[in-house]
Amino acid sequence: MLPLGELTREAQALLDAAPCGLMRTAPDGTFLRVNRTFCGWVGYSEQELLHRRKFQDLLSVGGRIFHQTHWAPLLAMQGSISEVKLELLQRDGSTVPIVINAIVRHDPERVHELAAYVARDRDKYERELIQSRKRLEELVTETRRLHDEAKDRASFAEQMIGIVSHDLRNPISTIQTAAAMLSRGMAPASSERMVARIARASQRADRLIADLLDFTQARLGAGVTVRPEPIDLHALVADAVEELALAHPGRRLEHVHRGSGECRADASRLEQLVGNLVSNAISYGQVDAAVTVSSTIDADSFGITVHNFGAPIPAEALPTLFEPMTRGTHALGAKRSVGLGLFIVCQVAKAHRGKTEVSSSAEAGTLFSASFPRTR
Amino acid sequence: MRVSGEGPATLFFAHGFGCDQNMWRLLAPAYAKRYRTVLFDLVGSGGSDLSAYDAQKYDSLHGYAEDVAELVREFSVGPAVFVAHSVSAMIGMLANLKDPEPFAAQVMVGPSPCYINDGDYVGGFTRKDIESLLETLESNYLGWSSNMAPAIMGAPEQPELSTELTNSFCRTDPEIAKQFARVTFLSDNRAQLPLLTTPTLIVQCNDDIIAPLSVGDYLARKLPRSTLRVIDNVGHCPHLSSPGPCAQATDEFLAAEGL
Repeated sequence: MLPLGELTREAQALLDAAPCGLMRTAPDGTFLRVNRTFCGWVGYSEQELLHRRKFQDLLSVGGRIFHQTHWAPLLAMQGSISEVKLELLQRDGSTVPIVINAIVRHDPERVHELAAYVARDRDKYERELIQSRKRLEELVTETRRLHDEAKDRASFAEQMIGIVSHDLRNPISTIQTAAAMLSRGMAPASSERMVARIARASQRADRLIADLLDFTQARLGAGVTVRPEPIDLHALVADAVEELALAHPGRRLEHVHRGSGECRADASRLEQLVGNLVSNAISYGQVDAAVTVSSTIDADSFGITVHNFGAPIPAEALPTLFEPMTRGTHALGAKRSVGLGLFIVCQVAKAHRGKTEVSSSAEAGTLFSASFPRTR
Repeated sequence: MRVSGEGPATLFFAHGFGCDQNMWRLLAPAYAKRYRTVLFDLVGSGGSDLSAYDAQKYDSLHGYAEDVAELVREFSVGPAVFVAHSVSAMIGMLANLKDPEPFAAQVMVGPSPCYINDGDYVGGFTRKDIESLLETLESNYLGWSSNMAPAIMGAPEQPELSTELTNSFCRTDPEIAKQFARVTFLSDNRAQLPLLTTPTLIVQCNDDIIAPLSVGDYLARKLPRSTLRVIDNVGHCPHLSSPGPCAQATDEFLAAEGL
C-alpha cells in the first residue's frame, strides 16, 4: 500500500467518500488515518482525530468495556474481528450504532485497520427481536405456570374425589347395615336405635356434602356465603354441643361460656364451624378425656374455642393446617374425616371478618379458636 | 484445564471477564519451563462444562472462589502462586481467604475491588455504565449462538475443533455472559482487602479504563503485603499487549519472594 502522500487523487477521493467509515489506528487505538465519511458521522475533523484521539474514546461506556474485554483480546489473538456492533458517540452527545470489521496489519509497524458502517435499521430490528424474545419468554413462563396450575388442580381434584368417596363410604355403609337389619324385622327398641343410627349417618354424609359444596365455592374465589343476624351465642353453641354429644355416645363433651351481649353471625354457619372443630377434636383427642367447647363474649369480639387433650399436632404441620386437604400425621389421619373441615372453619371465620388460630402441645393439649369482631 | 511444566512452585493462571485461558498464551508458556503451571477456564467461560453452571451459585464471586479454592488445593504441588487477570484477582483473593494454606503469593493483573464509583472511591464507572455494557453484550453475539452447540452437546473428544472456530476465545452463552458481567462489575470486595496477608503483586497499567491508576493506588494502600508495579500499557490486557513488562514485573516479584 502506498504511503498517504503518494495516493493518487482519485484513490484518495474514493477512500474519503467511500460509503463506509475507514480508519487505521495504532495498536493502542490512536487514529493514524481516517476518511471523511467517518469524520462526518462523529462530527470531528480529521485534525481533531489524528494522533489526538483513540478509537475507543468515541464509544459508549458499555462499548469501551466491551472493547477492552472482548474486542482487544480477540483482535490480538486472532488477528481480525468481524461484525462487532457498538454505539458511536457523536460530538453532540448523540449516538449512532455501527458495525465494525477490523484486521491487524504489519506495515511494517503493527497497525489496526477498521471498516465501519452505520447500522440504524439493523439496530432497530435487533431491538425488536430482543423485545419479542423477552415477550416470548414471558409467554412461555406464563404458559408453564398455567400448565402447572392446571396439573395441580387436576391432581388436587383427583385426591379430593378419593378422600370424599372414602369418607362417604362410612356413613353409607352404616345406613346399609342398619337398613338390612331393619328389613329383617326386630324389636321396636332396637329398630328405634337403628333409625337413630341411620339419621346420624345421613347427617354426617350431609355435612360432608355441604363442606364439599362450600369448599368448591371458596376455591372458585367466591368464599362461603353468610347471612349474619342477631344470635344468642351461648344458646347456639350449647344446642350444637348437645346435638354433637348425641352423635358421639361414649365421648364427653362440655360447654363453658363467659360474657354476654348481642352478637351477629350466620347461625347455621357457626353450627357448622362448631361441628367441624368438635368432630376434629373427637377424631384426634384422647378418648377418655373431655372435649371442651367454650363460647366467650368480650367488649369488641366474640369467640368459640374447642379444646382436646391427646397427642399434639406436629409443629411443622401447624402453618398449613387450615389449608384444604391437610391431614395431621398419617398415623392419626386414618381416623380423620374429609380434609376440608378446618379449611371450611377458616372460610366461615373469614366470611365473618374473623380469624382462626391453633396451638398444640403435649401438656396443654390442642386448642382451636375462632374469633369474630362484634359490630355494634 | 491444562497442566504443564515442573518446578518449585505451581502457578495458576486465571482469566478475567470476557475471554478464556487463551489470554495467557504469550505469558504462560515461558513459566512452564521453570514452574508447574495450571491454566483453566472459569465455569461458564471458554471450554468449561456449561452444564456445571449454576445461576444461583455463580450469582456472586464467592461461587467462583469456591471452585478456585478447591482447584488450588487439589492441583498445587509446592507453594501456589495465583496469577489472575481482572475479576479473577478478586476471585483469587476470596479463595485465598476461604482456604489460605496453599497460597504463597498472588499476582493481580489489572485488578479492581470495586468498579463502581462510591463517594471518594473512584472505581471508574456508574451503575448506568454497567447497564450500557449489558446492552452492548446483548447486541454482540460474536458467533456465540452457533458456537454454543458443541459445548452444550459436550464434545470434549475434539476440543481442537471448537477452538478453531472464529471468536471462540470469547465464546460464552449470552445469558451466562450477562450474569457474569453483572456479578463482575457490581462486585465490591473492598472490605476484604485488609484481610489478605499473602504477598501480592499488583500489575497496574498506566492507561486502563477498566482498572484506572487510582484503583491500583487504592489496592496498594489497602492490601497489607502488596507491591505495586505500574507498566506502560494502553488497555486492560497487558498480558497480551505488553507481555514483556508483565513477565519482568512477575519475575522480580517471584524472585523477591524466593519462589
